[in-house]
Amino acid sequence: MSNQNFYENEYLPQMHKIGKLIGVLAVVCAFLPALILGLVYGLWPNPSALAVCFVSAASSFAFLWFIEPISYYPVVGPVGTYMAFVSGNISNMRIPCASMAQVSAGVEPGTEKGSIIATIGMGVSIIINTTILTVGVIGGQAILSALPESITSALNYLLPALFGALFVQFGIKNLKLSGIVLVLACVLYVAINAGVFNFIPGASNWLGTLVCVFGAIALNVVLNGKKDSKKEA
Amino acid sequence: MNAMQIANSMPMWIACGIAVVLVIAQAAIFVKKAFEAGPKVGLTKEQMSKAVKSSALTSIGPSIVILSGMLSLLISVGGPMAWMRLSFIGSVMFESIAAGIGTGSVGVALGVDELTPLALTMAVWTMILGSIGWIIFSTFAADKMDKVQKKMSGGNSAMMGLISTGAMVGVFGSMVAQRVVPMNKNALATVLGAILMYVMMQVSKKVPALKEWNLTIAIVAAMVIVAVI
Repeated sequence: MSNQNFYENEYLPQMHKIGKLIGVLAVVCAFLPALILGLVYGLWPNPSALAVCFVSAASSFAFLWFIEPISYYPVVGPVGTYMAFVSGNISNMRIPCASMAQVSAGVEPGTEKGSIIATIGMGVSIIINTTILTVGVIGGQAILSALPESITSALNYLLPALFGALFVQFGIKNLKLSGIVLVLACVLYVAINAGVFNFIPGASNWLGTLVCVFGAIALNVVLNGKKDSKKEA
Repeated sequence: MNAMQIANSMPMWIACGIAVVLVIAQAAIFVKKAFEAGPKVGLTKEQMSKAVKSSALTSIGPSIVILSGMLSLLISVGGPMAWMRLSFIGSVMFESIAAGIGTGSVGVALGVDELTPLALTMAVWTMILGSIGWIIFSTFAADKMDKVQKKMSGGNSAMMGLISTGAMVGVFGSMVAQRVVPMNKNALATVLGAILMYVMMQVSKKVPALKEWNLTIAIVAAMVIVAVI
């Protein structure tokens, strides 16, 4: 059991320390461009207009500040949570990369090995993503004008195809669970789009993911819990 | 100096560059620590290098989508902010909405009217204030959620596995349903991505060398088919 001790008693506490330190630095860094505008160019925001902006941005996104870390935590684990929210692009990139890394290494999510492999997968995706963006921003306008419109519009279909493919990759191992989740999720989104939940502020942004994640966890425990606990015993 | 010259000035590049460097440093530190920890929990070198390879392959498609999003943000708020915001905290959807709210508050419609220095300032502040909630909450809650999850599973490792696999099916199920329900071309791309992935999984059982390309082939083929139709 020395492995467990290493992961729980050495690895995780150190990661929590690094993660928190970088999180605090990230909050400070986030303000640097705004401070440059103020200190170098004398451009400060109009406070009352900014208050209005903050309230309107918060009314669409404030729920996500809490809901997303909670919903994605069971997938990306503690170390992944630190990385995911500093780097952004979570559902469209970090989670797919973490999951595919686990598949190719042949490890299960929710285990120590799974968490370490997910961390490697997310870290690599961050390095590649920032590299591509850096090359892109330097080439910026040139690349933009060189791309024919047919390609930029085709790119809109890449992410939907990615989600469909990933759902098959992970759903096929557990057909019953994924079938039920998919049907219920579709019903839920039909209801959300029809405005059934409009009385909850910003519901269209966050309700779907939250209900699907925790619904699927509960269903998985009910459907497969007994079988697994027998195996364990 | 007009707003765009300020937005693309050297001090802005430096300020935004520091944030991008922080993101890369964090990733490098965590990957290095994970590589050191791997063998101690029983991972082989081969498993870890497979993880690097497949994650690198998986990143390319979404990175290009983010890149095209950055290019549209670049026109409205300048290179440095677009570069920083999409490497750091942000997502394409959030940034353009937040920037639009910011410039709108001083009467400038983002992407339509000419950007003024005040509108730029409002956009920058709104993007920052609207997004730091994610970092603050996730940074301070990560270790607490760790404890909650352990309590919920009662330290039972089988239960931890059920929670994680359930959550994963839930995340992707939600993403799929959200795109399928409107029954448009995005829905078609989602369904085709799923079908082609299934086909590739069957094919790669016979041709194992293809396995790590399954996802890339499936999504690129689905994208091209939908774009051509």
